[in-house]
Amino acid sequence: MSDATSPWAKAAVASSGVPGSAGPAAAAPAAPDLTPSRPIYDGKLSELYAIYLRHVVLMLLTLGWSRFWGRTRLRRYLWSHVSVLGDRFEYRGRGRELLIGFLLAVVMLAVWGGLMYVVWVEVFHERPFSSFGVFDAFSLSVVLLGIPLAFVGHYAGLRYKLSRTRWRGIRCGLAGSAWRYGASATGLTFVNVMTAQLLTPVVSVKLARPRIVNLRYGTLPLEFAGRASDIYGRYLGYYFLNIVAWVVAAIVLIGAIGGTVGGLDLSEEEFLTLFSQPNLRTVLLALAAAIGAYMVFGLLVLPLRCWWQAYLFRYLVSRSRAGNVLFATAITTRQMWGFMVLNYGIVVLTLGLGWPWVMHRTMKLISSELWLYGAPDGASIHQSADRGPRFGEGLLDMFDVGGV
Amino acid sequence: MTAPARFYDGETAQAHAASVRATAGELIILRAADGGALVRWPIAELAVLGDLTHEAVPLLMRRGSDARLVIVDPALRRQLADLVPGLAALAAQPTATTRRIVGFGTTLVALIGLFWLAIDYGTQYAVPLLPHGLQVKLGESVFEALTANETLCEGEKGVEALNRLANRMARAADYPHDVVVYVVNGGPVNAFTLPGGILVFYSDLIEQAKDRAQVAGIMAHEIGHVVHHHPVKGVVRQLGVDLLVRLVSGGYSDVVSTLGAGGNLLLGLRNGRAFERDADATGVRILEKMEMRADGIASFFEQMLEKEPKDAAAAIGIWSSHPPTGERIAATRRPATGRPPFTDAEWKAVREVCK
Repeated sequence: MSDATSPWAKAAVASSGVPGSAGPAAAAPAAPDLTPSRPIYDGKLSELYAIYLRHVVLMLLTLGWSRFWGRTRLRRYLWSHVSVLGDRFEYRGRGRELLIGFLLAVVMLAVWGGLMYVVWVEVFHERPFSSFGVFDAFSLSVVLLGIPLAFVGHYAGLRYKLSRTRWRGIRCGLAGSAWRYGASATGLTFVNVMTAQLLTPVVSVKLARPRIVNLRYGTLPLEFAGRASDIYGRYLGYYFLNIVAWVVAAIVLIGAIGGTVGGLDLSEEEFLTLFSQPNLRTVLLALAAAIGAYMVFGLLVLPLRCWWQAYLFRYLVSRSRAGNVLFATAITTRQMWGFMVLNYGIVVLTLGLGWPWVMHRTMKLISSELWLYGAPDGASIHQSADRGPRFGEGLLDMFDVGGV
Repeated sequence: MTAPARFYDGETAQAHAASVRATAGELIILRAADGGALVRWPIAELAVLGDLTHEAVPLLMRRGSDARLVIVDPALRRQLADLVPGLAALAAQPTATTRRIVGFGTTLVALIGLFWLAIDYGTQYAVPLLPHGLQVKLGESVFEALTANETLCEGEKGVEALNRLANRMARAADYPHDVVVYVVNGGPVNAFTLPGGILVFYSDLIEQAKDRAQVAGIMAHEIGHVVHHHPVKGVVRQLGVDLLVRLVSGGYSDVVSTLGAGGNLLLGLRNGRAFERDADATGVRILEKMEMRADGIASFFEQMLEKEPKDAAAAIGIWSSHPPTGERIAATRRPATGRPPFTDAEWKAVREVCK
C-alpha cells in the first residue's frame, strides 16, 4: 500500500503535543483505543438465492410491481447479516415507501411532459420543424435532464437507504441537498469530459466529500481529509499508461482479426454466407474471437483501470473517519478486478440471475477488506431527530441506476 | 460466557450485554454484569421486527420506541416465543432453503415458458380484441410521423379506385372494419401496413408495376397483413419480450436489457418472415375467392428478382425481415386467369394518381 501518511496521525499528534509521525498507532501517550476489527458477513448464498428467486417469480406475476418489496427483502437480508463490533445492522425500509417514491417520480415526469405540451401548443402553435414533434422534444429534454437527475436520484437514494439503516438501534442519515450535489456532479463531470478526463482526481475527491461529510451516524458526523493533490501523481501515471495500453490493444486486435480473416481466404460471398446462415462452427469461431478480443482488451486496459480504482478507493477510505473510529482498506488491484470486471461478467453471462452471487461476493469483499480502528464512544452518540425522507428512491428507480 | 442478549436503549449508541426474564405481564431486561434491571417492557407493547428468513436474528422492540433487544441465544428466543404467543415470529423456522430454491426455481421456469407462449401465441387471440379505434389512433400517429416530410398523391379517382379495391378485398376476407389506402409520392418500390387497417403505397411501386394484377397482388398481400393484425402483433410481441427480459433480470441490469434487445431484434425479424408468408398465402386466397387474376404476387417478385438477380433476402438469411424471394414465388405462383382487379378507366386513374 503506497498511500501517504494518514492525516489523522497529525491531528492526534497535535492534540497530544507529542512530536513524531508514522501511523495512527504511533501517536502514543494518551493512546486512544485503536483496536482493529473488521465487519463480519455471515450470509449464505443459498438463502440469498431463495429470497431472490421468490422476488423474480413475483416480478413476473405482478409485471414488475413487486420490485419495491423484493428489493426491501434483499436489503433486510444483507444488512442483517453484517455485523460490526458484534452488533448487526438493521434495515427498516418498506416496499410501500419505494412504491410511493416511484409514483411521485412518475407524476413529476408527467407534469413535466404536460408543461412541455402546453408550451409547445401555446408558444409554437405550428410545428417549427416538421419532423420534430412534441414527443421528440420531451424525450430530448428527459435525456438532457436525465444526467443531472440521475445524480440527484443517486444522492437521494443514498439518503433514503441510510435513514432506514440502524446500528445499535441508532439511525444513520445523510444531510445536505441532493439538488446541490446533482448540480455540482453534473458541472464537474462536464468539465472533466471537456478536459479529456484530466480532472478526475479533483472530481473524485469533490464528489466523495459531500457523500462522506454529510453522512451521520445518529448525531455523529463523519469527517473527510482527502485532497486531490495527494492522488494526482498516481492518476497521471495511470492516464498515460492507459493511452499506451489502448494503442497496444488496438494494434494487437487489428493484427489478430486481419490475420484470421486474411488467413481464411474467403470470397465476399462466402463471407456473407458464413454471416447470414451461421452454422455451429461459425458461431463457435465467432464466440472464440469475441473471447479473444475480450482477453486482449481485458488483459491490457481493464487491470490498469482497476489499479487506479483500487488506489483511489484505498485513499478515500483511509481519509474518512467517524469520531474515534478510523478506517483503512488494503484492497488490491486484483480484488478490484473481481469487483468491477468479474462481477459484471457474472451478471451478463447469467442474464441477470447471477445478481445474488455478485451481492454475496461484494459483501464478502467488504467484510474481508475493510478495517476499523477503534470503537465509537457510544454514550456520546445520540439518536438523531431527523427521520429521513418519508418516501424513497423515486428518481433513482426512474433512471434505472439503482441496484440493491 | 457471552451474554444471551444485547440491548440498545434507542437514545445513545451504547450496547449493553443483557439477559432477559419474562413475568406474566412484563419482560425484564437485565444487565448481564450485575443482574440489575435495565428496563421493563410490558408484554402487550412488544413487537418482533423481521423474521428468520430475512434477519439473522429478529429484533424485539417496544412499540413506539427506538430501543431494541437482540436475543442472540436461539434457545432463549424459542423459550420466549413459546411463553408469549405474540412473539412466535422470534423463533418461527423458515421453510428449508433447498425446498424454497427448488420451488421458486421451478415456478420461475414454468412462468417464463408461459409468458413466452402468451407472447408468441396469445397475441394471436388477444390482439383482435384490442378496440379498433385504438388501433386506428396508433396507426394514424405512426402514419403522421412517417410521412411528415413526404408528399401524398391526391389524384381523386386513383385514390378512390385503390380504396374501393382494398375494401372489397377486406370484405372478401371477412375483415369487419374499413381500410384506408394512401399513396406517398416517390420510392422505394414498396408498400406497408399500419395498425388500424392503414395501407401505404409508394408511387414508385405503382409506376414500376408491369400490370394491374401486380398492384392488386401487392394490395391483397397487404390486406393479408391487415386481417391477421400483423402490425399490432409485431409491436406487442416486441414489447412483451422486452418486458420478459427486464423482469427476469430482476429489473436491475441495463446490460442484460441491451443483450435482450439484440435477441428481440432477431426474434422480430423471425416474426417478420412468418408474417410475410402468412400475408402471401392469405393474399392469394383473397384473390382466388374474388375470382380475380391471382398471378400478380408471384409476377411482381419475379420482376424484382430480374432487376436484382442476387436474392438479397436469401443472402442475408437470419437478418432478413422477409423470406427468400425464390421461396415466395414458388408459394404464390398462379395462372394468369380471372377477372381484372381494375377497369381500364380505374387503372388509368391509378397510374396517374400522383399527377
